[in-house]
Amino acid sequence: VPVSAAGPAPLRVVIAEDAVLLREGLSRLLADAGMDVAGTAGDAGRLLQLVAALRPAVVLADIRMPPTQTTEGLKAARQIRQLWPGTAVVVLSQHVETEVLFDLLADDPRGIGYVLKERVADIEQFTSAIRRVASGESVIDPEVVSRLVARQRQDSPLRTLTGREHDVLALMAEGRSNQAIARQLWMSPKTVETHVGSIFSKLSLAPAAEDHRRVLAVLTFLRH
Amino acid sequence: VSPRLRAALIAGAIAATAFTVLAPYYGGWPGPPAPPIFVITQTVVLLAYLLVGLAAWQFRPAERIGLLFTVTGYAWMLGWLTDLHAALPFTIGYICNTLYQPFLAHLALAWPYGRLRSRFDRALVAANYAWNIGSNIVVTLFWNPRFTGCGSGCPANLLMLPGSTQLNGAGNLIVTVVSTCLTVTIVARIARHWMSARGYARRALTWMIWFSLPVAVYLELLEIVSDYDTGLSGVVVYGVCPLILAAGPIAYGVRMLLTRNAAGALGAALVNLEPGPDPDLLRDALAKALSDPSLRLAFRAADGDGYLDTHGLPAGPPPAGRMHTPLGPAGDAILIHDAELRHEPELVRAAAAAARLALEHARLQAEVRDQLEQVRASRARIVEAGDTARRRIERDLHDGAQQRLVTLSLALAMARRQAEGVSPALQELLESASKEAGEAIAELRELARGIHPAVLTESGLAGAIQSLAERSPVPVVIGAVPAGRFPAPVEATAYFVMSEALANVAKHAPRATARVTISQRTEQLVVEVSDDGPGGARPEAGSGLRGLADRVASVGGTLRVEDAADRGTRIEAAIPCR
Repeated sequence: VPVSAAGPAPLRVVIAEDAVLLREGLSRLLADAGMDVAGTAGDAGRLLQLVAALRPAVVLADIRMPPTQTTEGLKAARQIRQLWPGTAVVVLSQHVETEVLFDLLADDPRGIGYVLKERVADIEQFTSAIRRVASGESVIDPEVVSRLVARQRQDSPLRTLTGREHDVLALMAEGRSNQAIARQLWMSPKTVETHVGSIFSKLSLAPAAEDHRRVLAVLTFLRH
Repeated sequence: VSPRLRAALIAGAIAATAFTVLAPYYGGWPGPPAPPIFVITQTVVLLAYLLVGLAAWQFRPAERIGLLFTVTGYAWMLGWLTDLHAALPFTIGYICNTLYQPFLAHLALAWPYGRLRSRFDRALVAANYAWNIGSNIVVTLFWNPRFTGCGSGCPANLLMLPGSTQLNGAGNLIVTVVSTCLTVTIVARIARHWMSARGYARRALTWMIWFSLPVAVYLELLEIVSDYDTGLSGVVVYGVCPLILAAGPIAYGVRMLLTRNAAGALGAALVNLEPGPDPDLLRDALAKALSDPSLRLAFRAADGDGYLDTHGLPAGPPPAGRMHTPLGPAGDAILIHDAELRHEPELVRAAAAAARLALEHARLQAEVRDQLEQVRASRARIVEAGDTARRRIERDLHDGAQQRLVTLSLALAMARRQAEGVSPALQELLESASKEAGEAIAELRELARGIHPAVLTESGLAGAIQSLAERSPVPVVIGAVPAGRFPAPVEATAYFVMSEALANVAKHAPRATARVTISQRTEQLVVEVSDDGPGGARPEAGSGLRGLADRVASVGGTLRVEDAADRGTRIEAAIPCR
C-alpha cells in the first residue's frame, strides 16, 4: 500500500540480518507496510556504520550474526542505545531466553522489542510491533511471557490471581498498554485498570504509572 | 650333603653321645662315679658341636664350618677316653685331653665361613695344632698315673718313659707361657678381623668376639688350675665353666636361624614397599635387610651399555670386596653388595627375588597408570569431540534450516497477502502452509536446543540455569551462580549435570522443589542439585545417574549422590576447571 505524500513521514528503518533472502524479504515487507528502509546490513559492524550515517528511528537486528554467530546483534543493539539514545531497537531471535532479554531491558526498556524471528509470518502483528517500539513501547514476545507465567513455583502469589487477571498480566508482560489490553480482551479500559490494580496489590508490586516500568516490574516478578 | 654322609654324621653323633653319657658309669673304674654335673656338661658341649655342625653341613654345604664343628665335637669327646679303665684309651685320652682347644682356635679364626683369611692365620692355626699335640705328647712321656692318686688301680700310661718323674715346675711354666701367648695372639687376630671388617662380615664377627673372650679366659683358667692350687672348686672349673664352650655353636645356630628368618622377612618387607617405584626406598630396604649400608642398586643404562645406580652414577666392574648380583635372568638391574654376602647365597637370592618383584610391580603400576592416563585423555577427547559436533549441528540447524524456514514462512505470508481478494482458496492454502512452516520452525528450535542449548554458548551457565528452571516441570530455586564464563567442556558438563539432575527430580519426586547452586572452589566448579523429595536415587539403578557419573568423570571430575530417605536427594558434581 503506497503511502501518500501528505501523510506523516514514513518510519525510517535499518535492517541487520545476515541471511540474504530473509534480509530482502524483510526489506520488502517493511517497505510494503509504508516504512522507509534506509539501509540493510549483513553484520554488526556494517549496522553501526549505517546507524551512524542514517540515524534511523528503528533498528531491526538479528541477534545471531557473523563472525561468531552468537550474540553480535545484541551487543550492537546495546551499543546503539548507548550512542544514540532514543533509537528504537527490535532484536530478532530464533529462540527466546530470558537472560538475553533482561540484558537488553536492563538499561531502559523504552523502545525495546524482543521477538521471535518467525513472528515475521504474521505481517500485521510484526509491523505493528515495530511501530509500537518506534513509539517508545516495549514489545516482548508472547513465547517469553507464556514460559515465565507457566514456570513452576512454590507458594507463589500468582496462584491467587483470577483467570482474567492472568490474561491481563500476560499482556502487561508483553508490553501492552491498558488501551491495547482493553481492545484485545474486549474490556473497558476502566475494567483493565481495576484488574491491573488488583494484580499489583496481590503481587505486592508498587504501582507504576508508566507502561515500560510496568513491563520490567512484571517481568522481574515473573522471572523469580 | 649326601644322604650317606648325613647318616654317618647322625650315627656318629649318637655313638659319641652314648659314649660320653655311659663311659663315666661303665668305664670300669672302681669307686663311686663322677657327679652327674660333669656328665651333663660334657654331653651338652658335645651335642652343641655335633648338632650345630650337622645343621651347618645341611644348610651351608658350601662352607667348611660344619666340618670344623663336627671335628671339634669329636676332639672334645676324645679327652673323655680316660673314663675307660684300660691302658690304650686311657693313654690316648690323656694325650688328647686338650685337643679340642686348637680346633676351637681354628674355628674361631675361620669364623663364620670356615675359611682362614690369611697365611698368618693358617700358620698360627698350624702352630697351635703342633704345639698342643707336641706338648701333650711330651708331658705324657713324663707322667705317671699313680701321681693322680689312683694308686695301683690305675691303668698304665703306655707312653711313659721308664722311671720318669713328673715334669718339673719349669716345664709346666713353659707350657703355660707358650699356650697363653698362642691364645692371646689368636684373640688379637679375631679382634683385628673384627675391626677391619665392614657391614655384614663385621656383624658376623661381633658374635665371635663375645664368644672368644670368655673362652680364652676359661682356657687360661684351666692352665692355671693345673699348675697351681687356686682353691677353686673342681665342680665349678670342670663341671660348670665348660658350658661356655657350647656358646659358640649355639650362637652360630641362632645366627643361621635368624638369617633364614631374615630371608623370609625380606620378601614381606619389600612387597610392602609403598610406593613401589622409588628405587631409593627399595635400595634402603635391601641395604637394611642385607645389613650392608653401602649396598647399591643399579639399572642397565638406557643405551644398553653398563649400569647406572640410583644416583645416576655409572657402576663399573665391582671393586675389591664388592660383588654384583643380577636381579633376574635378563640382567636389567643388579645389586652391588659386600662380597662377604656370597656366603649367604640364600639371603641374597631372596633379596634379589624380592627386589625384582618390587621393581616389576613398580613397572606394571607405571604401565597401568600410563594406560589409564591415555584412556582418560582419549575419553575426554571423545566427549569433547561429541560436544563440538553437537554444537556444530545445532549451529547448522539454527543458521541453515531454521533460517530458511523463516524465510519461507515470510514468503508464504507475503504471497498470502497478494492472494487476498484474488483467490480465497489459494489464500487458505497459503495460510495452512504458513502454519505448517511455523510449526516446523518451533519443532526445529526444540530439536536444536536438545542437541545443544544455544543459551549456554550465548549467556553461559547463568543463562542456562535460568532457562532450565523456567522449563522444569518442578519448581526450581536458583542459588548462587558464578557470573564468569568457563571453558566449553566445563560449561557443557555442568549443564548436563543440572539438566539430568532436574529431569531426575521431575521423574522421581514430581512434587518436590529442586535447588540448584553452582560454586567455584579452587580450580573446581561444584554443581549441586538437591531436592526435598522422598529420595531413592541410586546411581547404579538408573542409567541417567550412571551416564551423569560417566560424563563428569570424562572431564576428570567426580559425582557424589547423597540420598537420605526423608531428606531428598543431593547430587554434587565437582568439575575441575583449571
